Amino acid sequence: MKKAPILVLLALSAAALWAQAPAPAPSTATSTRSYVETLASERFAGREAGSTGERQAGDFIAAQLARIGARPLPGRQDVFMSFDFTAGSRDGGSQLSTGSQRFSAPADVVALSFSDDATVSAPAVFAGYGIVVPEAQNFGYDSYATLDVKDKAVVVLRYFPEDADKETKSILARYSDLRYKALAARQRGAKALLVVTGPRSPNAGQTVPITFDTALAGSGIPAASLSGKAAAALFGSRSLESVQKEFDTGNPHAAGFALDGVTIELSTKLVREKRTARNVVAYVPATSPVTGVDKPWIVIGAHYDHLGLGRNGNSLATAEDAGKAHVGADDNASGSAAVLAIAEAFARRPERKRNLLVALWSAEELGLIGSSAFVNTPPIPLNQAAAYFNFDMVGRMQDNKLAVQATGSSTTWPSLIERANVAAGFNLNLQPDPYQPTDVATFNQASVPSLNFTTGAHLDYHKPSDTADKINYEDLDRIAQFATTIAARLMESDQAPQFVKVEQSSQTVNRTGVRVFTGTVPDYAADAKGLLLGGVIGGGPAEQAGLQKGDVIVEIAGQTIANIYDYTYALELLKIGEPVKVVYMRGTERRETTLTPAARR
Amino acid sequence: MTQSLRRSWLPLVLALSSLTLSAQQPSASKESDFLSRIRRLTVEGRRAGEGYWGPDGQRLVFQSEREPGNPFYQIYLMDMASGDVSRVSPGVGKTTCSFINPQTGDVLFASTHHDPSSKQQQDDELKFRASGQERRYSWDYDPEMELYVRSAKTGTLRRLTNMRGYDAEASYSPDGQWIVFSSTRSGYDGTLSAAQQKQLETDPSYFGEIYIMRADADGSGVRRLTNVPGYDGGPFFSPDGKRIIWRRFEENGVIANVWTMNLDGTDQKQITDFGSMSWAPYIHPSGRYILFASNKLGFENFEVFLVDIDGTKEPIRVTYSDGFDGLPVPSPDGTRLAWTSSRGGGREGQIYLAQWNHQHALDALAAAPPKQRATKGSGQ
Repeated sequence: MKKAPILVLLALSAAALWAQAPAPAPSTATSTRSYVETLASERFAGREAGSTGERQAGDFIAAQLARIGARPLPGRQDVFMSFDFTAGSRDGGSQLSTGSQRFSAPADVVALSFSDDATVSAPAVFAGYGIVVPEAQNFGYDSYATLDVKDKAVVVLRYFPEDADKETKSILARYSDLRYKALAARQRGAKALLVVTGPRSPNAGQTVPITFDTALAGSGIPAASLSGKAAAALFGSRSLESVQKEFDTGNPHAAGFALDGVTIELSTKLVREKRTARNVVAYVPATSPVTGVDKPWIVIGAHYDHLGLGRNGNSLATAEDAGKAHVGADDNASGSAAVLAIAEAFARRPERKRNLLVALWSAEELGLIGSSAFVNTPPIPLNQAAAYFNFDMVGRMQDNKLAVQATGSSTTWPSLIERANVAAGFNLNLQPDPYQPTDVATFNQASVPSLNFTTGAHLDYHKPSDTADKINYEDLDRIAQFATTIAARLMESDQAPQFVKVEQSSQTVNRTGVRVFTGTVPDYAADAKGLLLGGVIGGGPAEQAGLQKGDVIVEIAGQTIANIYDYTYALELLKIGEPVKVVYMRGTERRETTLTPAARR
Repeated sequence: MTQSLRRSWLPLVLALSSLTLSAQQPSASKESDFLSRIRRLTVEGRRAGEGYWGPDGQRLVFQSEREPGNPFYQIYLMDMASGDVSRVSPGVGKTTCSFINPQTGDVLFASTHHDPSSKQQQDDELKFRASGQERRYSWDYDPEMELYVRSAKTGTLRRLTNMRGYDAEASYSPDGQWIVFSSTRSGYDGTLSAAQQKQLETDPSYFGEIYIMRADADGSGVRRLTNVPGYDGGPFFSPDGKRIIWRRFEENGVIANVWTMNLDGTDQKQITDFGSMSWAPYIHPSGRYILFASNKLGFENFEVFLVDIDGTKEPIRVTYSDGFDGLPVPSPDGTRLAWTSSRGGGREGQIYLAQWNHQHALDALAAAPPKQRATKGSGQ
């Protein structure tokens, strides 16, 4: 029913996109509106990767690409590129026995999400927190320094020492990821890893939930978490609490020990649910032979998948909205619409020196899986791609602010962006860092000069309330037009941008160490000095502390906050339930409050 | 149009930053009353600033550090329709303070490219930066700085001044016939006392005075308009071409104020009196008011202010942003404002552009109270 009007409106808007008038052309915003309203409709049920809704959304996109005149890639029959991924894992019946005691899943023993399936029998050795700080860090912390764990089952505490000073914690937290602990144990010849959540830690005595882990392969060692009851059986007459206390100081000389006479038999079984999702990939061919053109492809892309009904853990829905379709109008029907609009604009150009590859990715929300599958088995040689343009959440522009990310990936970007923006007139926030949580990171890893466009997070982020009626279509069209202008300059040039490898910032956050919950929603597109809150989660610690959208956090627990990295870094040092002072700016007024972090599961 | 900011701003901030702590800002932002659709205009390069409009508002000339291999400013011309940017200056050495001739479109700027040591200075600066050291940025008032004009018609470059001393900060009269500029030439004329010589070595800008000459000058016929100790610079003509506006530093080099005078240097009139560094004045094309920058609200927090043309009212704050906002230049039709700001992050400025609400400016002036005098001897 919607198809006929879409056709007409698209034709109008494309004309507007290519108006070469010096002043910004009046935008109709009609084509992007149609795309967003369709993709973000209930019938696609939130477009969860591998779901029926995703499949139908992919069919819709394919139909639009065909109408625009984009074709399947050379040598391919259609525009669908399928890939398999792990949609989730559950314990398939792991067991632990020691002496006469037997423990089983899911109550007392649960395989870790990266565990190998195996059955092993080995003497048990306790290795404290099981943390090894690489020697290059010059810090001197090695839980295995005095232990021989070869052919042993290593028992370690979860997290990192609870009572250590902030600096020690901040370093140890970085090496406390369970995957990293498993690696350290395996490298020392251990046969298995058992993880205990100590009685002095948050979530005491609980097994570790199986997190979503997209890796198809295990980590090379059977690994499981234990309940407090199962742990007690291993420690016998020793009090785990007093053992933990000794390690909690962070003293690097606290030594592990063999659990005398304890031999365990561990059997791990993890069931990984595999599913198939589809990238939708087409191209608008060059109008003349591309021989002699340096890197004859330009790639534009956006993910079209979203969170479905919000059951995979990434949902931020309130309790009353839980289980509803997360229609993802901004995330990322908006980016998908921009890509389709740009593709159409190029299809209508009389001349194209390069081919335009148009990609709509799936399974981005699960960890950039779709774009990674594309890059791992690319249908075109990626060293023939002059540039990649990504669009992720471009529908909520406020105050004319547009963030352009990954500008450090080529020295060409600043001048191209400057020239295009003279007419476009955005208040730009340029971020050189290409290591962004979206598909632009995938192409950066593949050494393709890349840009990501985004209008940033907001209160409806990852909630069912991210709906089509809240999209700013006029500015969405301006963004599409702006990106088209930049891409067109590249398309007309004989030369391709040079790729620049941006070093990953040492501050880049390792969120695995963060286990506190503050209920803040950072505005990632902001250029504020401090952490600008795009919102606070209802009922969360931040809201209880009186923080609100628009506040800028400049200090927390004595740590000054200049950016999102500082903030996440500071979070690593917070203790659950321990109130901390937060200093923030509301407008130009400097205020203070007290926030009490809660536990993140 | 001055570089005095660069001279005084950063180093003194480090020394005097405790003074900024007491700066209190009003609770509500009024910036949007004056400025709408604010956006960053320059993107490329480490820093850019001092954007001045061509007469039709279709071109903007500015300085930017974006020439590969040259860590100093060069002069660029931006086409406001296509976004195309082209370099006007030679690409070598240091340049500063450009201006477009309202009649011919010729581009005036100051440059040191004739200095044989230019390349060496570029390499030294790049090496210094590569070593990871932080320079307390200081504008050196290079006595090699001379005025040049690039012809719009023929593209040729012509040298206008030829005298030792920093000749820069130049602008055209509305009829394109006159150039007003700042020069430290009096510090190099061989007549300095020992004390003055020492002054020249520590702070050459002290000798900065305002001069006027014909636009077709060959280095002769230059007339000096000011003769007061302390740095006089950043002169511009009023829209009717009858007066000159500039900023005058006190001898201490910290406090500056906006002044106006006749073309022959008579009737010198002080406009501002904040007791802080008020500088970079420019008169709105309506002739009704002056836009300028001041650090009244905190030593490193420069904001744009406006004040009536005679300075009878208390100036009104225009920008509300941490860091630097200054060098305000309205478009020839008075509807847009280009200025230099560090609001994009870091300490290096870039040029920003916004729609200017002229009516609101007039309303605010009408409602403004009479000028307050700075408290003398407050130790600021």
